[in-house]
Amino acid sequence: MLKELNPLIHSQLRLAIMTLLLSVDEADFNYLKEQTNATSGNLSVQLDKLNEAGYIAVEKSFVGKKPRTTCRITQAGRDAMAEYVETLKTYLNGL
Amino acid sequence: MNDNLFSEKDSLELISQMLRQTKRNLEVGSGNIFLYCGYSALIISIVVFGVVYFTSNSAWASLWFLMFVPNVLMLFKNKKEKPQVVTYMDKAIANIWSVIGAMFILTVIAIFVFGFYLGCCNFVLMLPLSLLYAGIGTAITGLIINVKVLIYTPLLAFLIGIYMLVALVSANEPTVFWHLYFGIAIVFMMIVPGHVINRISKRQCLKN
Repeated sequence: MLKELNPLIHSQLRLAIMTLLLSVDEADFNYLKEQTNATSGNLSVQLDKLNEAGYIAVEKSFVGKKPRTTCRITQAGRDAMAEYVETLKTYLNGL
Repeated sequence: MNDNLFSEKDSLELISQMLRQTKRNLEVGSGNIFLYCGYSALIISIVVFGVVYFTSNSAWASLWFLMFVPNVLMLFKNKKEKPQVVTYMDKAIANIWSVIGAMFILTVIAIFVFGFYLGCCNFVLMLPLSLLYAGIGTAITGLIINVKVLIYTPLLAFLIGIYMLVALVSANEPTVFWHLYFGIAIVFMMIVPGHVINRISKRQCLKN
């Protein structure tokens, strides 16, 4: 029987965020919004979910007077992505 | 992009699409840091050479400390304008130049402390050491961003730096022309690579 794909990652926007963060050291909210074409509200909700799961670290700061939200993937996030890709492979091999 | 569940095939396609998007080329103006530092060093080398040559007072060589000004200005500018995304390549390059910058500062402090202890503080050693430090930084940057000009042009700076060290060890007094040699080395080590990087990044940007 095939193992279930991690539901927290197996969602279009969250998977896009995780993949983007996996390939860069850190990215800010605007960059993620541009790359995923998501709305600010939706992106914010998904970032919160990933943050709560410990998959990403979110840092809020100010650059001058502008607020800035920076995200980076954590080790737990990397492990979860590695596991997700491994599970995905088993699904695709079965096709 | 919505939050609905999607198929495994879609998932794989999305992963490869996101990976393609993060494959970044050089940004326009990536070579500007080389140009700011390079042109500052070139101007200072000409000014120091002129002043020391015409006044015969080597104390004017302390004008070289002005080289810290453009670097400090760049540091403030970078703190004010954070980039949207920092790749592992950006981070590696930034870390390399942080180490090189720290080496510059530590060398100045060490020369000052040892000079104070020995009773003679001579910063002439900074010229060859600066060429070696910055040359290593430029060459490693070239290797990381895969731009060959940055790997090979610092060789001239290495040669000039080593010539200066050999001359010092051979008890030859440094001449006023060393300031000019330094300026020439900087043209090949920072100014030429800076323009090359800007040209490559502009071309990549037009292609995209």
